[in-house]
Amino acid sequence: MSPVHFIAIPLFAAFLIPLAGKVSKELVKIIPGLVLLYLSFVSVTLFPIGTHHPVVEIIAGFKPPFGITLYYGAIAAFLTTLITLIGFVIWLYSYKFIIREPIEKYYMLFMMLITGSTGIVLTGDIFNLFVFFEITSIAAYSLTAFLRDRDGAEAAFKYLLIGSFASTFFLLAIAIIYANVHTLNLADIAVKIQDVPVTTRLFVLILFLIGLGIESEMFPLNGWAPDAYSQAPSPVGAVFGGIVVKAAVYSLMRIIFLMFNSHDVLHFLLVMGIITMLIAEMSAMKQQQIKRMLAFSSIGQMGLVIIAFGIGTEPSVRAAMFQMFNHALIKSLLFFSAGYLVFHSGSKKISALDGLGHDKPITSFFFAFGALAIIGLPPFSGFWSKLYILLSIADAGLMVPVVLILISSIIEAVYYLRVVSRLYFYKEEATDVRRTPVSGLIAMGILTVVILLVGFYPNLILNWMTPAAADLLNKASYIKFGLF
Amino acid sequence: MIYYATSILLILIGMYAVLVKKNLIKIVIGLSIVDNGIHLLLIAIGYVKDGTAPIFSKPGLQASQMVDPVPQALVLTAIVIGLAVTAVALSLIIRLYDHHKTLNINKIRKLKW
Amino acid sequence: MNSIAYILLITFAGAGITFIVHHLIKPLRDIIAITVAASGLYFVIQSLTEKTKIVFGIADFNIIWGNTPYSNLFAVLIAVLGFLTILYARDFMAEKERLGYFYMNLLFVIGGMYGIVYSQDLISLFFFWEVMTWSSFLLVIYCCKEAQPIGLKYFVFSAIGAYSLLIAIVMIYAQTGNLELSNILQNFGNISEVNQIVIAVLLLTGFGVKSAIMPLHVWAPDSYSISPSPFTALFSGALSKMGIFGIGMVLFKFASHSGYFSYVKIILAWLGGITALLATFYAIFQTDAKKLLAYSSIGQLGYIIIGLAVGTPLSIAAALFLVILHGAFKAMLFMSVGAVYFRTGTTDMNSVTGLIRKMPLSFVTMLFGIITVSGVPPLGGFAAKWMLYESLIQSKHYFLVIVVFAASTAAFLYLYKLIFSLFLGQEEVEWSHVKEVPLLMLIPMLILSAFVLVAGIFPGLVLDPISHAMQYLGNYGFKYETSVLFNEWGNKINMQTVINVIGAVFLIAGLFVTFKGLKKTRYVTTKDIHTSGEIPEENENLTYAVDFYKPFERAIAPALKASIDKIYTAIGNNLEQAFDFLRYVYTGNGQTYAMYVVLFLSLLILFAELIFGIKL
Repeated sequence: MSPVHFIAIPLFAAFLIPLAGKVSKELVKIIPGLVLLYLSFVSVTLFPIGTHHPVVEIIAGFKPPFGITLYYGAIAAFLTTLITLIGFVIWLYSYKFIIREPIEKYYMLFMMLITGSTGIVLTGDIFNLFVFFEITSIAAYSLTAFLRDRDGAEAAFKYLLIGSFASTFFLLAIAIIYANVHTLNLADIAVKIQDVPVTTRLFVLILFLIGLGIESEMFPLNGWAPDAYSQAPSPVGAVFGGIVVKAAVYSLMRIIFLMFNSHDVLHFLLVMGIITMLIAEMSAMKQQQIKRMLAFSSIGQMGLVIIAFGIGTEPSVRAAMFQMFNHALIKSLLFFSAGYLVFHSGSKKISALDGLGHDKPITSFFFAFGALAIIGLPPFSGFWSKLYILLSIADAGLMVPVVLILISSIIEAVYYLRVVSRLYFYKEEATDVRRTPVSGLIAMGILTVVILLVGFYPNLILNWMTPAAADLLNKASYIKFGLF
Repeated sequence: MIYYATSILLILIGMYAVLVKKNLIKIVIGLSIVDNGIHLLLIAIGYVKDGTAPIFSKPGLQASQMVDPVPQALVLTAIVIGLAVTAVALSLIIRLYDHHKTLNINKIRKLKW
Repeated sequence: MNSIAYILLITFAGAGITFIVHHLIKPLRDIIAITVAASGLYFVIQSLTEKTKIVFGIADFNIIWGNTPYSNLFAVLIAVLGFLTILYARDFMAEKERLGYFYMNLLFVIGGMYGIVYSQDLISLFFFWEVMTWSSFLLVIYCCKEAQPIGLKYFVFSAIGAYSLLIAIVMIYAQTGNLELSNILQNFGNISEVNQIVIAVLLLTGFGVKSAIMPLHVWAPDSYSISPSPFTALFSGALSKMGIFGIGMVLFKFASHSGYFSYVKIILAWLGGITALLATFYAIFQTDAKKLLAYSSIGQLGYIIIGLAVGTPLSIAAALFLVILHGAFKAMLFMSVGAVYFRTGTTDMNSVTGLIRKMPLSFVTMLFGIITVSGVPPLGGFAAKWMLYESLIQSKHYFLVIVVFAASTAAFLYLYKLIFSLFLGQEEVEWSHVKEVPLLMLIPMLILSAFVLVAGIFPGLVLDPISHAMQYLGNYGFKYETSVLFNEWGNKINMQTVINVIGAVFLIAGLFVTFKGLKKTRYVTTKDIHTSGEIPEENENLTYAVDFYKPFERAIAPALKASIDKIYTAIGNNLEQAFDFLRYVYTGNGQTYAMYVVLFLSLLILFAELIFGIKL
């Protein structure tokens, strides 16, 4: 087994699925599940290996820095595990949720998205990173418009417009880097970029910040995000929040720590994170639609992650990774339950949710659970990561971000609990007799159990976070292993 | 040098189209122009004056006399990606036109705030 | 395993089990909930004799649970009230829906409170604090649609409190690198003085929200009155004491190092005084019995805070005595009002009247309750109030004495209104079917009544554990000689006789008046009144309680209009408007978003030197 599986198998599956569609519709639904189950298995078996010692895979026999390499270190191990496991849960949820034709296209794009995301996480080559980015983006644009409705197309077009900007700047940055160092291998670039004039480096950095900042939902580059999240089918919202953004933030941080690690850059990230978080949370406050609210909340959470990365110490990076993990889980749970709440109430509006807690107790319970967890209340896992972020910020001697994070938490509490109390405490007659399918409930149940488990035993995840943070911060070892 | 200047000009023209033109199709054309500008830039980076194709086609040919093959490979990939994006964009525009009966981006603002 | 582990494990696991059992076998649910609470009580009593400590690691922190004399005092209060509330809830809630939800959250609240008092490190303190907060929030919004904004207000204030605690915790961690209580207490003096004060003030704010100190009290009246009665008893009786628990810790364990801290204490004492006075005035004009009790509760907590903030041994003893008593009598009063609600379906004092013959035992409970509140012998309130006054005079806080005395006197007004309108007064035909509440609801009320009587006659029973608790807090215990009340007659044993004598006098006088009056008593209805030639209109409410204190109300009305609640509402609304304005950044036009990207890019390039320190 090698890390290549993470990319090759979903890619193969993506092309297999339309063919399988000719044979049987059931097969189309089952293949992605099998693929993700297998990948989860691979990621769990490879996990300890990658965490202890980075595995560098050479593609097609060209040695670095000439060929494309895959770098499977601690952080890549953690992220691929996260992506495959969340991907599996999302598949489980989609199994009964996506009932609209063309199903094979949905799963094909979903597999492409998994390919792209794992590729982003694994690759050790900057142009390859760009390619995987584009694979992810194109799949994401199409998935946004999957429902074929008016708003879906609009959201997808905005996403495409801004996303193309992102790729343009990314490609421009790559061109400039290549012009100066004549290499595409990340580790090699990290070595050689030190000799490049500082202004050129800065210009490249700015291009990267814009290009990757768009995908990691940094303000003011995140105009596409609320639309795309809210118009895509609910499991796709979970994919965006749980997988795509995580990969984007990772690659941004990887590039910054490898190439431009300076205090000013980190401070800039810190400030941008704070702005992103505050504006997103404030915008979420008065949203009429539940999924749009979740989208803004998602942006806010990414702001929090960026803040933690911006502190740039090892505890804070660890806390940021932990927060990414929790957010992937909790936001998926929220999107899942919101998906069925919207389905049952027949409207995207929050005001249509009145009294659903009575009617659909389990789905509503999951939503309430997720809401309490994402606010960061104990005993759920979100509590620990938020606590760690706060402690690491205070450790770095800053108090203002701590206060701002807590203020945004209060705002978060207000809008989430407004929905929760609507769910439970307005009485209305049952109108919808359809039931939430078992596969959806199992998917949400798995997430709930993990959230509680990590809430009571954070070391379960935290122990793996330490090597991951070290991996991200330790440029020397990346260069050493990346170049042999 | 002319290549660099042209490529930057192309990028700027494309940007102008994307940011100012209201017609969706013109915006997509703008995106393609930006893409082409960057492709030209990449090629220009790899270009060696009077260089040959990077193939050892005749004896005594030095590597320094060839153009850099890597940017060309990159551009090939980038062109394919650009094509895919354009295709998706155009199909989205068809869908948008079906629903809105207009191609004016200012009128397609159902999702806001 | 030792008792503390059992207490926490049983309560939290029991909460989950109750919820599940509710969905499987409904009848078992009540039994399980009662068993859980009872075993909690059992283990709390067990733990009184042991001094235990549990240490284990979670995340990177050492979690330490242990008991101290101070925490024992509060644990007993929680355990007893928790058990009695659940006993009371059995019949009270029988007809309601979503009982699994109710019991689960009730047990979560109880478990959270146990956790708070047993935490010996700040991580688990905050952990349990938040568990308690959200579960109590879920109980506040249990009832109905109207509860939604009230619950939200409760949660927002709680969150402000909790997060100021968290900021303090984070600061402590940054300064000392450790979150174990014993370590912090040792190293606290090494922190710079400014930080000490900031941390202490933040902690006091955090704890103060739960104990409803004046500018932070606005959530309390609404939340108390809208939550289900059994929980209100616990809410006001025990949950608000968690704030007091924390304030006590902060005042005497944390920040005694700094000289500036005396100013903080004085401010706190005055806030307590203002709270006591204003809340009492607000209470007088309430027409809803639960709301009246809610304001009364805020006022009583004000006394406790005064006692703690003044900080002499006698005043601390008085405060802790009041903590125990307030827990008991406020639970009694809420239960008794709850009993009225149970039978009549309302707590509006203008419509319920004359229930004394229908519900005599509930009446007795309420009578005992208000006697305790007002501090009349022979019940416990007398000794506690006396000690508070005396300590204030001893420590020369004369203005505070006046404030407290005024508040105390004014309290008679609302207490009288409460008992008169609900139980005395004319009998209404509407309530002729009303019966006494079931036995299971009576038992908790009567147990608590018996307790306040015993605490009044033998205050030593309560003061001894308080003395232990104070030794833990500040190395000095309470001595009976410090109070004139006890000193006059030498020691506490004589004191009991004295109180017995006073009590007997009151009792005989009361009996005498009752029997003397009884012969001439004639029961009247609301219609049976003299109207001096004015014929009442058809729908006029003739109950005695209507406009009970109208002249007084008229005199003081302008002062009441300026409510802090309104200021907060205005701030909240304006903030929301302002936030709302921000989201118009997202115009919906894709081109605008693209423009943002380009503008951001040009900004970064233009101000590169400013942002990244490198000129482009």
